[in-house]
Amino acid sequence: MLKTRIIPCLDVIKNKVVKGVNFKNIRVMGNAVEMAKYYSLSGADELCMLDINASYQNRKTFIKTVESVAKVINIPLTVGGGVSDLSDITDLLNAGADKVSINSAAVKNPRLIRQASLRHGSQCIVVAIDGKRFNNKMKVVIKGGREITRNELINWAKQAQSLGAGEILMTSMDTDGVQNGFDSNMLKKVTSSVRIPVIASGGVGNLEHFYLGYLTKSTGLLAASVFHSGKYKIKTVKKYLSRKGVPVRI
Amino acid sequence: MKKKVIGLIDGQSGNIGSINKAIKDIIKGRPYQLKIIKSHFNYSSFDKIILPGQGAYATLMSNLKKLKIIKPLKKYLENNSSYLGICVGMQILSDWGYEDKTTRGLGIINGDIKKFKNKKLIIPHMGWNTINLNKDDTIVTNSFDKRDFYFVHSYIFQNIKKSDVLAFTLYGKKFPSIVKKGNIYGVQFHPEKSHKHGLNLIKNYILKT
Repeated sequence: MLKTRIIPCLDVIKNKVVKGVNFKNIRVMGNAVEMAKYYSLSGADELCMLDINASYQNRKTFIKTVESVAKVINIPLTVGGGVSDLSDITDLLNAGADKVSINSAAVKNPRLIRQASLRHGSQCIVVAIDGKRFNNKMKVVIKGGREITRNELINWAKQAQSLGAGEILMTSMDTDGVQNGFDSNMLKKVTSSVRIPVIASGGVGNLEHFYLGYLTKSTGLLAASVFHSGKYKIKTVKKYLSRKGVPVRI
Repeated sequence: MKKKVIGLIDGQSGNIGSINKAIKDIIKGRPYQLKIIKSHFNYSSFDKIILPGQGAYATLMSNLKKLKIIKPLKKYLENNSSYLGICVGMQILSDWGYEDKTTRGLGIINGDIKKFKNKKLIIPHMGWNTINLNKDDTIVTNSFDKRDFYFVHSYIFQNIKKSDVLAFTLYGKKFPSIVKKGNIYGVQFHPEKSHKHGLNLIKNYILKT
């Protein structure tokens, strides 16, 4: 049986893992390579690493960090943040990423999804979508929620799939960073309208939240703070889920 | 002592970094050497060949053709020489692939590569899933039975002889996750991404077969 994936997410600046609520009050949580190695050894099913400050200068260091991380783990690695064109995607895959996630650039230029999936295969193209509600309508936002787009969330998810996305990384900006649980309602709407795997992101604060995330039919559950802070070990989460009848890799 | 030569084919179908590193770690301090194959090669100068692959069947076949790898590889396989194909590197052992367009494969293990039919399934089949051994083998001993490995694919081996299937996995229905014919192995999952059990499989293949 296919297992639900538990995916720690590292928000990275250069080579440091950081955490900030809604991109404010940024705190350093640790060294990216050390933390990646730790998670790979302690039972993470996959690792996600995002360059959250992808300026030209930081980028070079980030790519070096990707190379170092890829060398010390033997689980799949998804990398994203600030990916703007095909050459960014190629650079990250060459650095050792297994999948690259595209967000704003895909919204601005949807053809990028098609071009990237034709060149590298759908399996390594993840479309990251940030969703937020406005007057009860779910919209796509970009730039970490600072810019609202005209895209309606579900239409965009479907479009991403038809353009060749292999997976959707779905973050709700309504729940991200506040640890009150995933946005079940938003996630269910997305998982029921696409056929590709969906990773739930944004809002995990306790064990039950993981279980509720599983119930949305997301096949990957992504979390950051609860792991980085040491509140839960990956094993703790998996044991809990297993007791609830969720298929996990133990 | 003469070193055994392992060839790792770079079919320009996904990253070979992880598998390259895994092999290097395994053969460190042992009488083996690793050569990357990127073009026509002499099939008699390799003791083992590993071909990892991601993406589409048709793309890998056409890349191998462009790189002039098909002919020596076919010769190598027809001699029943030791081979490990990973993901699409396994799939091209079949007669035909039906991804994107109909493509003739290497025809080493009879069967076709077709898409998962069940419309209710999430496609690609992506993540960790269990292998069930039909029989134990040098590369997958009993202790591998019911272990989880990392899969990413939408196409599966069909119309394959039962005797060529070493292990199967359930996703909607049973499909072959390890195939074997003589000294030729194919795995549908990615052992290089499958943590310690994956690395042990590669280790068994290199050191024990």
